[in-house]
Order: sequence, then structure tokens, then C-alpha cells
Amino acid sequence: MILSFISRCIRTPALYTLSKRIVTPPCRSVSHDLPVGLADAGTIFALSSGQGRCGVAVIRASGPASSTALRCLAGLTHSLIPPRTASLRNITDPNSREILDRGLVFWFPGPHSFTGEDSVEFHIHGGAAVIAAVLQALGSVPGMRPAEAGEFTRRAFQAGKMGLTEVEGLGDLIHAETEAQRRQALRQMSGELGRLYQNWSHQLKRYLAHVEAFIDFSEDELIEDGVLHRVDESVHQLQAEVEKHLKDERRGERLRSGVQVVIAGATNAGKSSLLNTLCQRPAAIVSPIAGTTRDVVETALDIGGFPVLLSDTAGLRDSPDLVEREGVRRARERLEQADLTLVVVDCAQLPSDAPEAAEFLQHHLKSVLSLQEQPETVFPVDRVLLVLNKTDLLPQVQRQNLDRELERVSGLPPVCLISCHTDDGLQDFLTVLHSSVRNLCADPLVGAPSLTQARHRAHLQQCCAALAQYQRYRDVDLALAAEGVRLALTSLGRITGRVGAEEILDIIFKDFCIGK
Amino acid sequence: MLTKKLPTLQSFQVLVSRYASQLAHQQYDVIVVGGGHAGTEAAAAAARVGAETLLVSQKIQTIGALSCNPSLGGIGKGQLVKEIDALDGLCGRAGDWAGIHFSILNRRKGPAVWGPRAQLDRQYYREFIQSELLSTPRLTVLEGSVEELLVTEPKPDEPGQHRVTGIRLANGSQLVSASSVVLTTGTFLAGSLFVGQTTVPGGRVGDAPSSAGLSHTLKERLRLRMGRLRTGTPPRIVKESVDLSLAVLHPPDTNPTPFSFLNKQTRCKPEEQLPCHLTYTTPGVEKVVKESLHLNCHIHQDTKGPRYAHMQSHTHAYCPSIESRVLRFPGRQHQVWLEPEGLTSELLYPQGLSMTMPPEMQLSLIREIPPLQRAEIHTPGYGVQYDFVCPTQLSPALQVKSTQGLFLAGQINGTTGYEEAAAQGLWAGVNAARRALSMPPVTLSRTESYIGVLIDDLVCRGVTEPYRMFTSRAEFRTALRPDNADLRLSLKGFEEVGCVSSERYQEALRVKNSLADALAALQDLTLSRHNWRKMLPDVHISDAKNSVLNGMAVLQYNQVSYEMLASCFPEVLCPFVEFSQRLKIEAVYKPHCDLQKKEMDRIQKEESMFLPQDIDYFSLPVSLSQEVREILDRFRPSTLGAATRLQGMTPAAIVHLLKYVKQTKKRAQRNRSDQREEIEEPCERNASLTQ
Repeated sequence: MILSFISRCIRTPALYTLSKRIVTPPCRSVSHDLPVGLADAGTIFALSSGQGRCGVAVIRASGPASSTALRCLAGLTHSLIPPRTASLRNITDPNSREILDRGLVFWFPGPHSFTGEDSVEFHIHGGAAVIAAVLQALGSVPGMRPAEAGEFTRRAFQAGKMGLTEVEGLGDLIHAETEAQRRQALRQMSGELGRLYQNWSHQLKRYLAHVEAFIDFSEDELIEDGVLHRVDESVHQLQAEVEKHLKDERRGERLRSGVQVVIAGATNAGKSSLLNTLCQRPAAIVSPIAGTTRDVVETALDIGGFPVLLSDTAGLRDSPDLVEREGVRRARERLEQADLTLVVVDCAQLPSDAPEAAEFLQHHLKSVLSLQEQPETVFPVDRVLLVLNKTDLLPQVQRQNLDRELERVSGLPPVCLISCHTDDGLQDFLTVLHSSVRNLCADPLVGAPSLTQARHRAHLQQCCAALAQYQRYRDVDLALAAEGVRLALTSLGRITGRVGAEEILDIIFKDFCIGK
Repeated sequence: MLTKKLPTLQSFQVLVSRYASQLAHQQYDVIVVGGGHAGTEAAAAAARVGAETLLVSQKIQTIGALSCNPSLGGIGKGQLVKEIDALDGLCGRAGDWAGIHFSILNRRKGPAVWGPRAQLDRQYYREFIQSELLSTPRLTVLEGSVEELLVTEPKPDEPGQHRVTGIRLANGSQLVSASSVVLTTGTFLAGSLFVGQTTVPGGRVGDAPSSAGLSHTLKERLRLRMGRLRTGTPPRIVKESVDLSLAVLHPPDTNPTPFSFLNKQTRCKPEEQLPCHLTYTTPGVEKVVKESLHLNCHIHQDTKGPRYAHMQSHTHAYCPSIESRVLRFPGRQHQVWLEPEGLTSELLYPQGLSMTMPPEMQLSLIREIPPLQRAEIHTPGYGVQYDFVCPTQLSPALQVKSTQGLFLAGQINGTTGYEEAAAQGLWAGVNAARRALSMPPVTLSRTESYIGVLIDDLVCRGVTEPYRMFTSRAEFRTALRPDNADLRLSLKGFEEVGCVSSERYQEALRVKNSLADALAALQDLTLSRHNWRKMLPDVHISDAKNSVLNGMAVLQYNQVSYEMLASCFPEVLCPFVEFSQRLKIEAVYKPHCDLQKKEMDRIQKEESMFLPQDIDYFSLPVSLSQEVREILDRFRPSTLGAATRLQGMTPAAIVHLLKYVKQTKKRAQRNRSDQREEIEEPCERNASLTQ
């Protein structure tokens, strides 16, 4: 009898919602900077296997839309696959119909699943690009959203899949989680992005206060004319800004389509050799004749799990040859689109005096990157790698001097000394290259920043949609328009912290002369 | 519908006692102290629920008096009036009876924020309230002053340190006992009146101050935390001394909309309504305010001397005097409404001119305003300071947590406004009666009503300034509309609360079913976009992927009214044409309300998890930080939902609380089933089974 009571009390709806509430820290002291993840019902998904590169990755989804997700991604038009049985399927993007991977899928209809809800598992290859692509595809299925940290466990708890004793640990677990969230939020919030979101949130708070003032007070009080018009303009601007921001953030895209890495430099510096070395096959023709490469040679590479599109380009020089001139033009064009440029320099061409060599490199970089016009040059250090090739041709003494000088000189991008001929320095170079590429993609496997970003993105999109609601209802129904601003603020609040009714009223009373 | 005849005052005396010795009983279920908006609603509600009720008021003649502005409703407040009416309260119907100028504010801003409002005839209003109380069975009215509350030991099986058992009357020291006492003393609790540099004790000009004994009981005996608040009222102006041609005319709505769901029309005929007038302050007003500052002790206290530049927005933000308005926002014009006081009244009420300076300065001030150049003052304005009880000491049933049977409502809880007072009065009356009749308390959620928002804000957050309702306080504003208050509250009010008459219940049921049928009929009307365009040639039906549209979707179009659809499909839609406006609103708001549903459900479920009121949070054997324990001890949230809304609560603390509640429940149940069995054991047994 006691057991049945306990299981009953665990299944009560109140418990269910209470635990959900936990994810929304209600407290100001803790939640001020917390990304308040409102864990509504809905269907959640996340990478469930361990962090770091691995052979197989497991992505799990739980909630009512799981079966839809399974149908969409595994191309099941008619019946679902048998429950709890592995099926090998092509995993496709439901929108582009592009095949993302081929892997095992599992279907666990509720309540016989870990969370008690309908669940799906995708066992796919462990590359970052594949994982990111499948996560993005899941995110595009209606009703799906990225899971909050620990949300699967919580749902399992809510569904009565955990006993009371296990609940004991839950408080501490959640505490640890929120602590972690808080730290993470603080980390993010102190950055440029955090300031941007805070600023938006601040603006929205003000707009909402002004709309609310207009609703609650304009008939009785002197609310200046034009308050609402100013809000109209500002909301429009803010919406455009958020939309632009959503488009600008290309990291996700890079992950899917690959980082554009372009090899550039003077003729005969060894650019094509570098390409061949990196892709470990003679993809480009290599010869001692300057101007061998005329067109852009492309090859796709996997660097530490990240997709890279590597392009070898024609050596940059003025040439009377029409074909070569076209090659140089294409090289320049490709350089402009590059996410990362590898500027290759022939060591043997460097002046033997080390300080002069450094100066030469500065100059050379400017010319390759078309920055000559700018007097004060600051290289986009995360976008350029300087590769000094043919170290095998460099006398030992000169190399040591050069090393010392490069350490001393500031203002140069990361420099790698290698020899494509002897593979000297190649390992170090690969490490540097990997870290640059990873930075450009915002590694989804470190901590959970990419999940966080996916969540930010979702909230920002909701924010945009809500602002559109303001525009749509502005002239028809101001209450519904205000609801739009309120929703937008709530969406942003999930990144920057909650805004309560009292704060809005405070602004109203600060900004307007309002009496009884 | 408004055919009711008011009884003459002679018959009134049958149920009204001027002396306690004439009382039929010396024992009642509920005693309500105070006859203002909170007190009258409380007494009527308690009697409706079924309790033998005694209403004690200093002067029978002032029961139902409008002490301040002669108006009811407005933005946010109008919603409260509609909800009070839906719960069968008095003020909506009284407003329909006494209204002389009806208008819906915010008409162009969307039905969710419409503010039904009326100017009232003071005399009509008072008469209606008095006659209603008279015709309410189980209700007795007593003229008298309450000396003190009778306080004794608590019942051991209920939480609380004290229990109220009745009142002692001032004259003759007579005792009247009751299971529940509702205090609605308004501004009379240790009230003092201010004009210029004079201060006299009292709560309203012309009335005796209430006894110090009551204040003393609350503070010293019950040890309640109290605060002090200020409010004020403007001078009343002789109408014929005012040149209204210099003010802007504001006519009422051509078709008055009644407050009450039971009324189809108002007593006042449309063409008999009186207008209001709007005018503005001038720089001269500012000058008088500054010159009179040294003679104005109310403002002095308000602004702490001449440093008025530091005055923060939270002092008197909601009900400021003209003095604080011009000091806070100098160099501006401020609105002044000139409102009628009644059909035959010779006075005007200058809304926005509440002031506390000496009477002669008041006269010079108003004469700086063009239409009032030659105005005469009938009664000068004055300020009031009064005690209030910090409302975080109340339960959501408005009972003092530490004192069994003591309920508080109205300004004593730190609110301002008739509607806020009436709403609390009604709810306190309901719960006082339920307690006396041994029924469990009832609460209203903030997801279902403005009354719920009001009470939740009061008991969870407390007040730092007089609390006034705004629509922006209600997070589910789109669902809590004035038009649907009957569906939200009348059904519940009859089925669960017991404060709604069967007549109103039947009507609400009829409305509910008709609306549901009509919405279903609209949903079933599916036509291609092409056919809709043919039907409604003037409406721009958008092109979209799905080519079929139902009637609901079409009704959402801005230019489409229910009547238009009804003329296209008379046989299906005409039966519901009396609900045209409501159906249009329902259609437009439904998608938004559906979106909010999930969040509302979540809050409601959290609010159904009760926390025992007698927990000693400091010795609770669960892992809680000292800080959290202090917060919980201070606010004593009554549900887990309320606990999550407290500032400073942590998610971890909520989980530990939850675990505690679960174990307590389990323990209680086990104790009932088998007293001897070990308590902690089953927990582990269960754990091992689930692993």
C-alpha cells in the first residue's frame, strides 16, 4: 500500500510541474544572470554521448514529437520501425533532403523508455559536422527544441522512473546544475554578445513600459503624444537588428558547409605542396616552375572532426600571361571569401638578417591580403596563419635567429615553420590549424556552448516572431501588440534573466507623470 | 432588468439596530467591521455563502458612501468590477443603478484592456448598497464602534498562535461573539487627517476616529507588523461657480454599457447622462504649491523637507497630490477632470487636485485654473495617514496567518481604490463564512482572475506604497478579459465557492453553452478561400497555402464581424447573434489564450501543493541555507507555487521543500493507517525496488 502511495505521489501533476519549475530559477539572487530555460513540455533533443571526438555519437529525443522527428529524419513515410530494435537508416535533413549520415535509429514508445515519454535515439558517426548537422535537422522539426542541461533526467524523475531516494540527490544535482549554468551564463554575459543581449533586453523593457503606460494611463493622464510612434520605430529597428544578428552568426553554417581555408602566397612558395601534404595525395600538380597552378584547386578535408574546404590558388604575381592573370584574379576572389587564409612563404626567399625578415613578412602579408592601403595594419589574427615553408633549405643558424626574432616581433599572425619536403614541423602546424578551425566553428563538443547557442538562437528567433506580432496588431489591438513585446522580452529574458511586472511599472513611473 | 424598487428607509430599520442590546443574537458566524466598499461586499458575500452575519459600522448613514471620487471602474479596475459582479458582488449592479456617465476606456486598444467606467451619483450608490444589504437574508447591520477584538488561545488542530472569538463594542462594553471577524477599517486605523499645518485624528472628515483599542490589539496583542500610508482627497467645488465653457467637454458613450452581467441596460437613460470636463493646470498652480510648502505638513513629511528633488517615484506614485505632481514634474501641464457628483448635486469633483495645503491656499490654487477662476470651495481637500497591516502576514484566503478567524480586507491591507477594496472584501467575506461553517478555504489563482492577481501580489510581495490594480500586473491579461469574467468566475463561484446565486449560475451556464455551440458552428463552416471571397467581397482574404478556411479563422479578420457571417449563414449563426461581440473577441483571442494555457496550467498545479502554515523553517531537517530559511519564515508561503515566486528562493531549496512536503504527507497518511510502523523505512524499500 505504501509503495503504491509513493508511486502515486511521484506521478502527481503537481510534482511534475514543480520539477519543471526548477529549471526556471524563480529567485532573483541566483537568476539575475541566468539564462532562464523555461522547460515547457514539448520535445527535447540533445547529444547524449560523451564529449569529445568519438566513433559513434548518440543523439536522443524525448517527447510527443519524437515520432515525427524519427519519420522526418529517417525517411519513414508509412509505419514506424519496430520498437526497441536497431534499424539502419539514412539520416536526412527534412528540409534539404540532403543525406547527413547513415546510422542506427531506435524507437522507444512511452512509457517504456528512459523518460517515460516517446523517445528516439540516433546512433550516428562521431564527427562534429555530422553531429551538428543532425542536431540542426532535429531543431527544424516543429515542436522540437534543444534540451536544457539535465532535462532528460528530470523528465525521467517526473515520469516516476526514479524513486524517492533518488530524489534526495536531485536537489543537489539541480543546485550544481544551476551553479554551472550561472557560471556559464556569467561567462557568456560578460562578453560582447552578453552586452548586446542585455542592451536589447534593456531596450525592450523600456518599449514595453511605454506601451503599458499607454494602455494603463493614456486615457486619464498626460502621456505625451508620439510615445507609441517612437515605440513603433524602435521595435521595427530592434527586430531588424536581431534578424541581422541571426543571419550574421555564420558559425553554424560553417559547421555544415565547411570552413573555407585558402592557401595563398607568391609563386613557387610551396602552396600546392602544402595542399598535397594536408590531403595526403597528389591533388594538385607540383613543379619547380613558377605559375604551375593556374586555377583554384579545391579539396574537402576533415581536420580534427571539422569539415574544411581547402583551396589552393595561383601564386600572386603580375603576369603577362592571360590565363595566369585570370588565375590570380580567381585567387584574389577566393581570398575574399576565406574564413582562414594560409599565407605560404618560401623560407629561402627571406632576407638572411632576422629583423629584416620580419619586416619582409609584414610587408608580404599586407600585399597578399590586399591591405597595403591601410597604414596601421592589424592582421585579423584568428583569420590568418603564416606558413614558412621549405625549412629544410634554411641554414641552422639562420633558422634559430628567425625563431628568436619571430618570438620577439609582435603584430604577426601565428607563424608555423614547416617543410612539406621532410614533414618537419607538420604536427605543430596541424595543431595550430585545428585550433583555428575549431574556433571558427565554435566547437559544439566543449562544454555545451553550441547547445547554449542553439538555445540562444531559438530564443532570438522567438523574440523576432514576437516583435512581428507587435507590428501585426499595432493598429488593431494594442493589448495583443503589447503581448508581442512581452513575449519578446520573455524570450530574451531566457538568455539575460527575467523581467517582472514591477520593473515595468517602475519604468512607467519614472518616465511619465502619472497620478491616480 | 433594472426594475427593482428601492425600499423606503422606514422598512430599513427592521434589520438595522442602532443599539447592540437590540441585537437578535449575541453570537454570529461572521462579524464584519466597517461599512465601506470592502465591508459591504464582505458582509453580503458572507451572508450569501450562508453565514449569519453582523455588519458593524460607525454610522449607518455612511454605509456604501463614496468617500473620495464619484466614479467606479476604469482600466484594470473595471476588470475587478466585472469579476466582483461575476461572483455576485454588489458594486457592479450598484454602479449600473447609480451611474450617470458611462464610458469604456481604451476602446481602441483591444478588448483585453477595455476599462468599463462610470461616474456615479453618490446618493443613488449609497441607497442601492444599503437596500441590497437590507434585502440580504442572514445579514444584520449594527450602528456602533468596535472597542477591541476578543482574542484567545488557538485551536490546537489548526495553525496559528491566537484565535479571534468576537468583538467588544465601545458603548456598554458589550461582547458579540463570532467564529470569524473581518476587519475593513479603511483609513480609520490610527488615522489622522491633515490640512495645512493642522492634524486631527480621524479616517474621514465628518466621522469620529475609530477606537485606539483595535490598533492596539493588532500591534501589541497579535504582534502584527504594521506600516503607515498616506492618501488624500481634493476640495469639492461649487458647480455654479465654475465656467465649464473654458474646459473641454467629454461626453459619455452614447450607449451605456452596464457593469453587471445580469443587466442589459443601466438605470440612467442614455440621453440623461451627464458629461465630464477636462482642463489643465497652469504655471500659477506650481507657484502656489511652492509658496505654500512651508504651510503644508503632509507634503513636508512626504518629501522630507525642502529636498523634494530627491523624491522617488515610489512615494505616492499611484495617488499623488497635486503638490507632489508639480514638484516631481515641474514645468508641465497636468490634467484636471471636472466630474459631476450626481444628477442633482451642486458639487463638482476635481479629479487630479488632491491637496493638503491650508484651505485659503487651496482656493488660490484652484483659481489659477481657467474654468475655476471664480470657483468656490465647498469642502477643502485634505490628506489622511493611516496604519496598514503588512499583507504578507495574510493567507491567500485573506486570513491573518497567526490568528485563527481574523480576516482583513481593503485599505487595511495597503491597497487604494474602491474596486481593490471591494474585491478583497468579497473574498475575505467568502472565506470568513466558509471558516465559520467549517468549510475549507478557497483561493483564486492569478491565472483565472484579477482578484487572484491582486491577492497573490499582496500576500506574496507585500506593499511599499498603496497598491493599485493595473492591467499590466496580470501576466495572463489576454485571457482575463472583462468580457469573459462570468465564464471564469460565476460557474466556479456557484459550484465551488457558494457565493453565486442559482439565477446567475443558470445564466452563466446558458452563456457558456451558447458560446461553445457558436464557436463549434464557426469551426465547422469550412469554405475555400475562393468561396469566402465571393461571400465577403469587401474583405481581403489573404492567399495562403491551405486553401480552406473555417468561420473562426475568417472571424479573426479585422474587417469581419459576427453579424456579417450571420447574414451569410443565417440558419446556423443567427441563433447566437446576441453574443456577436463576445464571439468576435473569442475568435481573435483564442489562439493567444491557447498559447498561454500551458503556462497557466503549470502555475495552477504548483499552487495546488500546500505548505503547512506551522512549519518551523529554522529547525526543518532538510538541506536549506540560512538565508532561504529566513525568507520562508518571513513570508510563510502557503503553496509551493507561492514559494517559487519569492525573491531569493533557490531551485534547490524548492526541491528540498517538495521532498519534505511529500514525506510529511506520507507520514500523515501512514500514521492514520498504521501508527506503529517505522516511518523512514519505506523510502529505502521503494528505492531498492526501483533500481
